[in-house]
Amino acid sequence: MPLIRKPPASSGTATLAPDPAAVLDALTRGNHDERWAAARAAADLPSAVPALGSALAHENSPIVREALFSALARIATPQSVETVLPFLRSDDALIRTEASDALLAMKDAARAYVPALLKDQDSNIRILACVLVRDMPSQAAASLCCDLLDSEPEANVCAAAVEALAEIGESSALPALMRCADRFRATPFLEFSIRIVIDRFRSQLSSPRA
Amino acid sequence: MADDATKRVLVIDDATLVRLYYRSALERAGFEVAEAFNGVEALEHLLGAHFDLLVVDVNMPQMDGLSFLRTLRARDLPWSSIPALVTSTESAPQRIAAANAAGANFYVVKPLRAEALVQYASLFCGIRHG
Amino acid sequence: MPEFPSLTQDEFRRLCEFLYRRTGMIFTEAKRYYVERRVVDRMLSTHAPSFEDYYARLRADMHGEIEQFVNAFTVNETYFYREEHQLSCLTSDLLAARLAVKRRGDPIRIWSVPCSTGEEPYSIAIWLLENWRHVDEYDIEIVGSDIDTAAVALARAGFYGKRALMRLPPRVVERYFASDGDASWRILDELRESVRFTAVNVLDRAATLSHGQFDVIFCRNVLIYFDDIARRTAAENLFESLLPGGFICLGHTESMSRISALFEVARFADAIVYQRPLEVTARG
Repeated sequence: MPLIRKPPASSGTATLAPDPAAVLDALTRGNHDERWAAARAAADLPSAVPALGSALAHENSPIVREALFSALARIATPQSVETVLPFLRSDDALIRTEASDALLAMKDAARAYVPALLKDQDSNIRILACVLVRDMPSQAAASLCCDLLDSEPEANVCAAAVEALAEIGESSALPALMRCADRFRATPFLEFSIRIVIDRFRSQLSSPRA
Repeated sequence: MADDATKRVLVIDDATLVRLYYRSALERAGFEVAEAFNGVEALEHLLGAHFDLLVVDVNMPQMDGLSFLRTLRARDLPWSSIPALVTSTESAPQRIAAANAAGANFYVVKPLRAEALVQYASLFCGIRHG
Repeated sequence: MPEFPSLTQDEFRRLCEFLYRRTGMIFTEAKRYYVERRVVDRMLSTHAPSFEDYYARLRADMHGEIEQFVNAFTVNETYFYREEHQLSCLTSDLLAARLAVKRRGDPIRIWSVPCSTGEEPYSIAIWLLENWRHVDEYDIEIVGSDIDTAAVALARAGFYGKRALMRLPPRVVERYFASDGDASWRILDELRESVRFTAVNVLDRAATLSHGQFDVIFCRNVLIYFDDIARRTAAENLFESLLPGGFICLGHTESMSRISALFEVARFADAIVYQRPLEVTARG
């Protein structure tokens, strides 16, 4: 029988109860692998949130940043959310994506912030809020989306709310959808989207198929 | 590839309704359409099939459109130079500059009209009028 | 008794989008019949009177419906040489790529996690012996791990029935298994002893780190059960468990696209696989 050899038993486990001070230090002072390992270890240290935020502000490696954002998402406190929020406004598309993903990974902690995010001055943040809203209980989510549809000036944000309503499936949103279609008659894409969702709700209502 | 072969467009956007809108417009105009949710899925498609045009959104989960374009252009393969139409909600000059630096061929602010999309697609795919 | 033989186009699309968003599983039009059948099964099991009702139940994850639904797809039955195209990819492309950058004398390490009752790691061993012309030239370590300790115990014992062996050519069965009476075969001792089995939870960083780093990881049909944060944690653990330039293979309905951009996408003739970057480069 050729050489497939049984390896020796694993030699000890990695020490994963590192000194918190050492972890915080390595977040910014280590080499790439050390910063990565420190970021991963920091996920177990709720007190590390401010240090994670500072590290993120200067970290150039997307790989280390993923671990830093993951740590914040795993800690998932209101402080974590507030530490992530500023990065949504970055000029760097990748950092905006990383920050959005981090929020989406801590939906429960982010939930309390959704109503405010839906009114943020930055339309991209309002769009992100429309994704976050999908994981809230259906009626509350639909209600927030409908409010937005009645007052939102930007077509792209309305489109995101329409997309959320398409998934949520609350047909009580019909009137707000129709009002929005009226407001944006000059925007074919939005009309198209609203039409699809209206048709879907109408067929839901008319054929219960019980 | 024959000039009259069907042109294939890869639509890359995390918004379902956007992809649907583009798909219906492009298919009506005779294009073949594939969809990707983000830059990672787009790379998976591109590694396995030929496309004549990419329509790439910027803000997408996991991998944004500009990171995707940089990765694509850096790979130095025959398909690395596929024309890319970048779409975005942003109109600020620095955002447009960033897209160009990443390898965009053209930049359009959303929402896009179906007719405009078809015109751009025809232009980029070298489809002659008439 | 409700009669819902098929979903409308819109229903199918909505379902696939939701599933992709929540689990990362990708279903194309080609899989429609396969998906519909399972939806109908679940609707019957949950007594859902309509698709809308079932979809609402799924969205709310009522009584863990998402896990039930995913279970219907991962097919608890496992067998030898499942997803043979990935085994082909291993011997056609992945090993050569690894050898090009490895130090001489370092063993080739392959991880099958989750390994269930051992069909996958043993399949890898058998496939290499049967198909890799360099198998005698290198030390190869194969590790199989699963969170289910009962499954791991069964894997170590190495008894399999007819269904598990159905994809194996008869001469392969003859060569590597001994008949153990009534429609049961036992994998040969030499093979049993050449695969190490451990119990591990991929969400547990200490546990995964203790296994060292691998050249190739097969991680099929487990990430789809996790929520976003758990998926990230698992992906990061698996990233750490790969040698730079190492490869990870997911299940055929899975994609890293919904999980992480840590890995580079690589496509070979037989499979899409994901690769830990060989070098850390400055962000371009």
